[in-house]
Amino acid sequence: MKSQKTRSAINTYLKETGGWVASQLEACTRCGICAEACHFYQALSNPEYAPIWKLEPLRRVYEQRFTVAGKLKLALGLEKKLTDSDLEHWSKIVYEACTVCNKCAHVCPMGIQLGPLIHEVRAGMAAAGVVPADLAEATEKQKTIGSPLGLSDEMWRERIDWITDEWEVEIPVDKAGAESLLVFTSIEIMKFPDNLAAVARILNRAGENWTVSSTGREVVNFGYFEADEELTRLFLYRVFKAAEELGVRKIIISECGHAYEAFRWEAPNMMKVPKGVEIVHISEYIHHLWKTGRIKLKEGAFDGETITFHDSCKIQRRGGIIKQPRELLGVLAPKSFREMTPNREQSMCCGGGGGVISIKEADSNRYAVFEMKLEQLREVQAGAVCMVCSNCRLQFVDSLAHFNFPVKVHGLAELVSRALV
Amino acid sequence: MNWTEIMNFSRGLLLHVSMIIFVAGMSYRLVRVLLLGWQRDRATNKGSKLKGVIVNYLKGLLVLPFIPWVRRTFRHNELTFIAGGLFHLSLFVVLAFGTAHIMVWKSLWGFGWKSLPTPVLAFFSSVGIISMIVLLINRLTHPVLKLLTRLPVWINWLVVFLPMITGFIMARHLWFRYEVIFSLHLISVSLLLIWIPLGRISHFLFYFFSKTIHGAQAGKRAVTP
Amino acid sequence: MKEKTIYEHLREKGLSRRDFMKLCGTIAGMMGLEFVPPVKAPGKIPGPGPEAVVAQALTTRPKLPIIWLEFQDCAGCSEAISRSSSPLLSNLVLNDLAIEYHETLMAAAGFQAEKAKEECLKKYFGKYVLVVEGSPTLADDGIYCTVAGKSNLELLKEAAAGAAAIIATGNCACFGGIPAARPNPTGAVGVTDLIKDKPVVNIPGCPAIPEVTTGTILHFLILGELPKTDHLKRPLPFYGNTVHDHCLRRPFYEAGKFAESFDDEGAKKGYCLYKLGCKGPTTYNACAGLKWERGLSYPVQSGHPCLGCSEPHFWDGGGFYQGQSAPILRLDKNSTATLVGAGLAAGAALAGLNAVKKSRARKAIKTAASEKVSSGTGEEKKEG
Repeated sequence: MKSQKTRSAINTYLKETGGWVASQLEACTRCGICAEACHFYQALSNPEYAPIWKLEPLRRVYEQRFTVAGKLKLALGLEKKLTDSDLEHWSKIVYEACTVCNKCAHVCPMGIQLGPLIHEVRAGMAAAGVVPADLAEATEKQKTIGSPLGLSDEMWRERIDWITDEWEVEIPVDKAGAESLLVFTSIEIMKFPDNLAAVARILNRAGENWTVSSTGREVVNFGYFEADEELTRLFLYRVFKAAEELGVRKIIISECGHAYEAFRWEAPNMMKVPKGVEIVHISEYIHHLWKTGRIKLKEGAFDGETITFHDSCKIQRRGGIIKQPRELLGVLAPKSFREMTPNREQSMCCGGGGGVISIKEADSNRYAVFEMKLEQLREVQAGAVCMVCSNCRLQFVDSLAHFNFPVKVHGLAELVSRALV
Repeated sequence: MNWTEIMNFSRGLLLHVSMIIFVAGMSYRLVRVLLLGWQRDRATNKGSKLKGVIVNYLKGLLVLPFIPWVRRTFRHNELTFIAGGLFHLSLFVVLAFGTAHIMVWKSLWGFGWKSLPTPVLAFFSSVGIISMIVLLINRLTHPVLKLLTRLPVWINWLVVFLPMITGFIMARHLWFRYEVIFSLHLISVSLLLIWIPLGRISHFLFYFFSKTIHGAQAGKRAVTP
Repeated sequence: MKEKTIYEHLREKGLSRRDFMKLCGTIAGMMGLEFVPPVKAPGKIPGPGPEAVVAQALTTRPKLPIIWLEFQDCAGCSEAISRSSSPLLSNLVLNDLAIEYHETLMAAAGFQAEKAKEECLKKYFGKYVLVVEGSPTLADDGIYCTVAGKSNLELLKEAAAGAAAIIATGNCACFGGIPAARPNPTGAVGVTDLIKDKPVVNIPGCPAIPEVTTGTILHFLILGELPKTDHLKRPLPFYGNTVHDHCLRRPFYEAGKFAESFDDEGAKKGYCLYKLGCKGPTTYNACAGLKWERGLSYPVQSGHPCLGCSEPHFWDGGGFYQGQSAPILRLDKNSTATLVGAGLAAGAALAGLNAVKKSRARKAIKTAASEKVSSGTGEEKKEG
């Protein structure tokens, strides 16, 4: 008996299965190579964490609903229909053991875009409401309060004022006629206020005409983590609306990977986006400011202990901002900057992205993955690690504390702001 | 029914029917996938899509493990990479340069080319067969593959292996009377042709979709695929 | 009166004992007796030597009466026999072992001939060997081949009734041959398709190698039984190997050296003819061993690929000059286009169904979303 839940999931899969989904599902040869690319599989050796297996619900619906061969398999009893318990089973796999980092796509001999396809699987789960409770709660908070951390408008203002005072930096709020709108995460405002202050200091130094918005104040998109299309759109819309009202020409995404992915690559395909508004990530923008000479950096400011760079899946592998942070680090710490292996497009994910960090049940998975990251840090004898994603940073701070591993964690903006001359 | 008749039947009607099923089945399958609808990607490009696609195909053509960033993955899947790669290589060599196969292409397209010396072909076909056996053992033992492999995938293996082994025996004139093994070879080839539109062997077609999509996406985002 | 033995008959013709024994050796060789080695190793063979076996038979047995019937044929097998490489042997068979009835070779004609046959059938009932050349035809009660007002079916049944053994010579008599090629308008079949109650041996070939036919007759004469046969009732001594097995071009095949056309360098150098359509690998015959014209040559030796004439339906097994691996039936452009079209149509039809499913799913999702809006969460919709 098909329940309403399963029906919603199936409807979503049917809707999302276009030619690009179908052709990639058809291309799979079941070689299993993607498993070894997945940090969750590497860390935990659970065969169900093989990326291709995460697509199982989508594949089943596609084959059983759209193909004769699939119907045949169903009739012969070789396969079963999707059920509620299947959804629950795979919900744990796709939300708690996948950061949608898409590394698997880079090793797939067929080049199947596993990351985006797993996102589609999540979409079905979201439609069915089979989402881990913690993630659903955070999403609900973002929907009603405006921030997944439950940060209300008043608290947000207080925090901004406090940062302004504490770091003695000017943060323009709702400034009409501003050139660019900076949107940042509640994680930054609550846990890494220094990062926000650093960004503000850099933008001020560069003479940027910028502002933050009190209505479009949350860049994190828990709808996108969940893969709930409506909510993703809603959360994007809040920022775009603020941008339109303020008349800005540019939206600067602060250190958040999933947000950059959603704004830069997904929004144009999901909704009407304001025309002529450029989306940039803060790390590429800082690089741009430095390249154009609007800010000057003290060379070798951080030479000393070894500093390394962690590539975030959504900003580096999926965002293409690979050279820029390295060039900046090359200036900041020309002698002590060392690369972890693997790096760049092939880097290993932190383990906390894609909403995993917000799910309590996934903690053990996340720590298991981080142990491999620790190994990489150890190999380069890193004293500090720099990154451009607050989500990664949260995972690093939390897990380093968990393992009691003495490595300092920096945001790139923070380092840059300290080296401003 | 004697073997000569079976041979003529499998060279004639059976092969003909299976080619019909293959051609019609593959066009059916292609159009079924194509007509599911495609969305234009409206996000602006950061890099060149074309460059990404080209790089991605080159990556596919070059032997993967020698690209440094695949090494780690390679280390955990040596068997799949080496045996899979060798299998495809020997398959293409034998199909394209086997004397008997060239005559098939010639009869279909009207032109042929030089075949490779028999010992070279013997080497490649044995490599292909050994690779297939290695892949089977790997599939039987690897936990992920055990999970992923269902009946249709086993059938895939079988319908690919049968033409290879019968072809090998036939070309070497071993054990069987020639018309018997010739018939078996053609029957297994027909089986393969009939199965391709149903199973995952059709990846030879959809490969170009996923490979292009991945290359274009990577190129668009200015990353190396 | 006791019938004269063959030996007596030959002695009357002036053959010395020495010549007779030589003849016996030759015959033993020509028969392809399986137990006869090419060179007799002294002391290795137990019992009497092969020529002794032959001599024993020829000195004790009378002449063997043979009835030679022709149906749908070209008389090529008879031609081959009459010009066979060993005049000695054919002479022996035709004259000395006695042929009682052969439509092409005998001097008698018309009613006389028919009468002679009738008498012969009666006289030697149960003793004679029936040789059939050409294919019997089944269509329309066999009227496409009649002799003296009798259909070939009648003739065959009549002659087969008293035969001690039947030898079908040539591909036509064995498997229907050229008359049976598609579309086989006369309903030609092989002798074995009609005669089930007599020992029959097939000597296929186009024509049959004369030494094989005579050898088989001698085998019956000397050993009193037909030779061992394969699954197609072909005598194993002659049909145990393929033309490919003993081919003198075989080394080139193994080395992968092939003539690409009849006038290229490879053809001149005597390379393998496989690519020019040689059917040697699947053709069981003694061509490569016995050869033709006193062992002068055989098709492959003289530069022509084997046609596979000793195999059933060789005429329908694809083009003679088309490689054996090539499919017999080919998809031409039109039928390929039709097939692709059919595939596309079927795919499009399913795609249509799928599109309906998709739009239904989309509608269902929209309804669910609008329910959400009415419950007061559609911020975007409300504001935008």
